[in-house]
Amino acid sequence: MVKTSLLFTVALILLIASFFASLCMGRYEIDFSTLAHFLGWKWLDIGAMPRDATLLSNILFDIRLPRIVAVILVGAALAVSGGAFQAMFVNPLVSPGILGVLAGSSFGAALGIMISDSWIGVQLFSFAFGFLAVMCALLIARIYGKNAPTTILLVLGGVISSALFSALLSLVKYMADPYNKLPAIVYWLMGSFSAVDMKTLLNVSVPLALSMIVLSLMGKYLNILSLGDDDAKALGVRVGLVRNTAILLATLLSALTVVVAGMIGWVGLIIPHIARFMVGADNRVMLPMCLLLGGIFLLWVDTLCRTVLSVEIPVGIVTALVGIPIFVFALKNAKKGFA
Amino acid sequence: MSFYEARNLYFSYQQKKVLDGVDIAIPEGSIVSLLGANGAGKSTLMKILLGLLSPDRGEVILEGKNLSEYSIKKRAEHIAYVPQSTKIVFAFSALQIVLMGRIAFEAWFAKASSEHDKQLCYAAMERLGIVHLAERNYQTLSGGEKQLVLIARALAQGAKILVMDEPISGLDYGNQLRLLEAILTLSKEGYTFLKSTHFPEHALMLEGQTYAIKDGKILASGDTKSVVTQELINTLYQTDITLFTTHFGYKTCVPNFLNQHI
Repeated sequence: MVKTSLLFTVALILLIASFFASLCMGRYEIDFSTLAHFLGWKWLDIGAMPRDATLLSNILFDIRLPRIVAVILVGAALAVSGGAFQAMFVNPLVSPGILGVLAGSSFGAALGIMISDSWIGVQLFSFAFGFLAVMCALLIARIYGKNAPTTILLVLGGVISSALFSALLSLVKYMADPYNKLPAIVYWLMGSFSAVDMKTLLNVSVPLALSMIVLSLMGKYLNILSLGDDDAKALGVRVGLVRNTAILLATLLSALTVVVAGMIGWVGLIIPHIARFMVGADNRVMLPMCLLLGGIFLLWVDTLCRTVLSVEIPVGIVTALVGIPIFVFALKNAKKGFA
Repeated sequence: MSFYEARNLYFSYQQKKVLDGVDIAIPEGSIVSLLGANGAGKSTLMKILLGLLSPDRGEVILEGKNLSEYSIKKRAEHIAYVPQSTKIVFAFSALQIVLMGRIAFEAWFAKASSEHDKQLCYAAMERLGIVHLAERNYQTLSGGEKQLVLIARALAQGAKILVMDEPISGLDYGNQLRLLEAILTLSKEGYTFLKSTHFPEHALMLEGQTYAIKDGKILASGDTKSVVTQELINTLYQTDITLFTTHFGYKTCVPNFLNQHI
């Protein structure tokens, strides 16, 4: 227990340190003492007004801060929803897209880009189709799911729903205007935080934070789901209610990440492995750890994306490139049962 | 008033009839063994008795009340399920597995596992002599140890009826005997057992009552000593064995292919 709380303290400190480090990094480099001086003046009213206060305020508060907060929230959301899906499907290879939410959201976003010119329209389409895809998966599972193993049917429902919306996405891409709309769609699907604005952030932050908190509090019920349905029912847990609530919240999380930043893979798959490796399988501590680690991981990946080259690299590409070796390393633990 | 019984159960998966008019009565504090070949309907019967499946026809009565009238939580206070050593994908410790027996009774937003619950779990593990396994990873335990952990979970759950699905299969000889002994000890303390088994000899060791199922029907039932006969075993499993009574009264099966001179 001491070890666990120590790990949490370290992760939290790391997150805060990464936050300030990332604030300093970018095309316009700000060294740490300038940042401290500026923030001290701005927030605590200490010291004199810095010379370039307007410029700093612009870069830090209008450009970098919304982006960094969005990155942390999205990373945490993907990791928590991935961890929750893994627990409820009793399968460590499950990622947030299992029920088709990512395929649905991508299709929705592409459709939104094609038929509307407003940013909010794209976001609404993305969110709505993410949910629709999960509904399709649940419906398919429900048709056959009388006395059958529910998780397998859900996975199959998700596979079908994902395939359907991927096909529809291809259709939209094929029909989209290749000079204007198609590049926008393709770029969106690679994932990026460059378009994040304060308004989007304010809209999504409350549902994101609430869903993550409730899912973490549901940890003990998710633990029981990983014993299998019969065991869980015999232990007095209302399996259907718990699973549906968890699916709803995890879907909400994943759909909102697509709304904010497009498709970002791998975070929801690898972060739960690392969290489990650190604090064990108990979802009551595993999910909060996912939250912290997901935030840290994506923050560093995004900081790399916007600093390494003179053009920005889509974040989805880097999560995959960084995620794959980590996953290969995590598979080393597979024999021990994904410790 | 009946303690725990099922009347006139019918159940089928699609076209296949699994239970065809089954009655079973389990007296308080008894050990009831279910015998039957693979696919005879033992597991289905147990799932219905646990409330995990609903029968097409018939009813399950627990302490005078229909089982379907119990909330899922109330049901768990009375009946615990001890599955064949559950496969668990994630690395939970043995103590965490036992603690899961308490979760349904905690409040939604309760702090992670209260001291009271932990004490209950340690007490349950103490009774089965497995406290030393508490911090071990459940997945790395042996089959026998896993089974004992699952029984400890059932005890921690607070239920007085334990339904066990072939608890003995897959255990080595020593673990089989230790498990049978644990069942006998707990039964003396007032726990009720319903267990399916592939070994008629285990039913004979535990005595109590036996229900023999063939093709979804109860072929024979009652006091184990009088029900489990050579004829019953041979009919149930389509075998050719002789049931010997050793000189101190204990019965044992000997296959006739080993025994050509009788």
